[in-house]
Amino acid sequence: MENFSEVIAIFFSLDNFIAIALGVVIGVVVGSIPGLTATMAVALALPFTFSMQPVAAILLLVGIYKGGMYGGSITAILIRTPGSPASACTLLDGYPMAQQGHAKKALKTALYSSVIADFISNIALIFFAAYLAKIALNFGAPEFFWLICFSLTIIISLASGSMIKGLMAALLGILLSLVGLDEVFGSQRFTFGNYNLMDSISFIPLLIGLFAIPEIIEFYRKKALPHIKAKASGAGLAFSELKRCMTTIVRGSLIGVIIGAIPGTGATAAAFISYSDARRRSPNKANFGKGEVEGVAAAEAGNNGVAGATMIPLLSLGIPGDVITAIILGAFMVHGLTPGPIMFQENLSLIYALFMGIMFSSVVLLLVGNVAIKYFSLIADIPKSILFPIVLMFCVYGAYAVNNDTFDVWLMLAFGVLGYIFNRAAIPAAPFLIGFILGPMFEDNLRRSLLIGHNDLSIFVRGPITWAFIALTVGSIGLALYRFISARREARNIADKA
Amino acid sequence: MTRAYVKRRIKDVSDVIAGSILLCFSLALVFYLVPNYINEPPILQNPMMSPRWLPGIVGWMIVLFSILLILQGFLLDRSGEDDERQIEKGSTRRFILMVAALLIYVALFEAMGAVFTGILATLILFVAHPVRTWWAYSLAFVFPIAVTFLFVKVMNVPLPISPIGF
Repeated sequence: MENFSEVIAIFFSLDNFIAIALGVVIGVVVGSIPGLTATMAVALALPFTFSMQPVAAILLLVGIYKGGMYGGSITAILIRTPGSPASACTLLDGYPMAQQGHAKKALKTALYSSVIADFISNIALIFFAAYLAKIALNFGAPEFFWLICFSLTIIISLASGSMIKGLMAALLGILLSLVGLDEVFGSQRFTFGNYNLMDSISFIPLLIGLFAIPEIIEFYRKKALPHIKAKASGAGLAFSELKRCMTTIVRGSLIGVIIGAIPGTGATAAAFISYSDARRRSPNKANFGKGEVEGVAAAEAGNNGVAGATMIPLLSLGIPGDVITAIILGAFMVHGLTPGPIMFQENLSLIYALFMGIMFSSVVLLLVGNVAIKYFSLIADIPKSILFPIVLMFCVYGAYAVNNDTFDVWLMLAFGVLGYIFNRAAIPAAPFLIGFILGPMFEDNLRRSLLIGHNDLSIFVRGPITWAFIALTVGSIGLALYRFISARREARNIADKA
Repeated sequence: MTRAYVKRRIKDVSDVIAGSILLCFSLALVFYLVPNYINEPPILQNPMMSPRWLPGIVGWMIVLFSILLILQGFLLDRSGEDDERQIEKGSTRRFILMVAALLIYVALFEAMGAVFTGILATLILFVAHPVRTWWAYSLAFVFPIAVTFLFVKVMNVPLPISPIGF
């Protein structure tokens, strides 16, 4: 009861409500603009949270994340340009619907599916995060060491594109995380005598550089493309149609929850799996891809079902499941909090206040989404030639604000160039960021295990939890190899047929 | 060695280039950077506790995977899968103006203040594309002033102010 009143006291603050509303609005706006991603928006918003209370700061970022997930569907439906990679599936049926004059219906379907999926995902988060954190209280350093190994391997094995490049990106991320003073011996590592590097590489310039600057460089490097205008027209969604889609939405949400809870999989995979599952089961199978309302519902439910669930490993184990939760982990750290099982013991009220805020964000998403259908599609009409200079200004201001030092602006630009090279070489940036975050945790748990075990390596196989994580790690490497071999076989078959 | 010969032998040139660059970097890392730029304590009970251990392991793994990436470039054609690597380049003037705007930010940010550099760089980028709506140029003045105000006065995050006070 004492805890409950504390939760209420933490949550019912005007700052939190403003943060959620502002976050969702920013997310929807940014998500609805092709080329600007929710990841970019969350990264750019992080410096603004320095002076905020921890709950308001996290809720602002969560709001942007959720708004961005839905916002991406607006342009996918209206101009066949997904605002986020996860919305790519929505356009399969959303755009044909818009072409047939049912744009408003498609947008409403996307909104209601997103909100329902988001709500289900939040329930899963609240239920499973606490449960998982309770189990994780039994983890020691060797268990966490293997959990980090598993997280790294599963993220790499499920990353899109080349597995070798995913691994390489993660290794480079780990390497970069080691720059600075060694925590045990105090030795300098790769500081090259520069005092700015002694306190390790700042997270925010890295983040902004890696996820915002490459888009700007690419825009000014690429040939200018004609600007397409968007328009939301036609009738809305009838209740009978929503009812018909309900089973698909719930099933898609559950798919999203399961996929979201596994580190590294992400919303794009969830949207496509949910879509193909709905198509397989639907009586209107033949209409999929030609403007089927159920197709939009399935894609959006899968996509948004991930949003809450992806925070399960973050809050309960302290392991980020994707890039956005990695940024949110950074926000926790900026405010002196370390997500994980200990946080459930020491800051339970704060966690439940966060849960309340996350639930409330679904309601805000519904309200903002309805307005968005009418007006926010106009925002998608703002040309990138006006937007990107302003985004660059935010990048520079945000990077500088971390330590009030131009060195961080240089650092951000260097990571921007690195991110651009990554894009050109098809090296995924997500494993790089996850490697950067998990690198120090990996080393810390390795060393602590050795100290606890008096340098005896048998501590790494000390019980069933470690065995289970070893099996999962080996399994994820096996999965990666299987995906690699089957992709090669498929490519060879296509080549033979051609 | 003609261009056609190289194309015939190498299935994916960018993978070979990326792999070669990473191989050179990782060899430099393992044989030069780790021994010279990480101090090791004189007494260590376990080599795995050493500050050099993880960077060394990571370095050797990058060596291994960069060799695999080079081999992948020689054996597998992934160009169809990675279409996003191909971009149609735009005008050089636009790109140079963008680089100029970036340099203005890093070179003048502390000396001339956030507002001044923000306005200057935004105007350059507006000209670079170019923005043809006349009123949009007012945004180049409004946004730097508004965002600086937001950072400094509302969020209490200090940003540099120019010598003439803005």
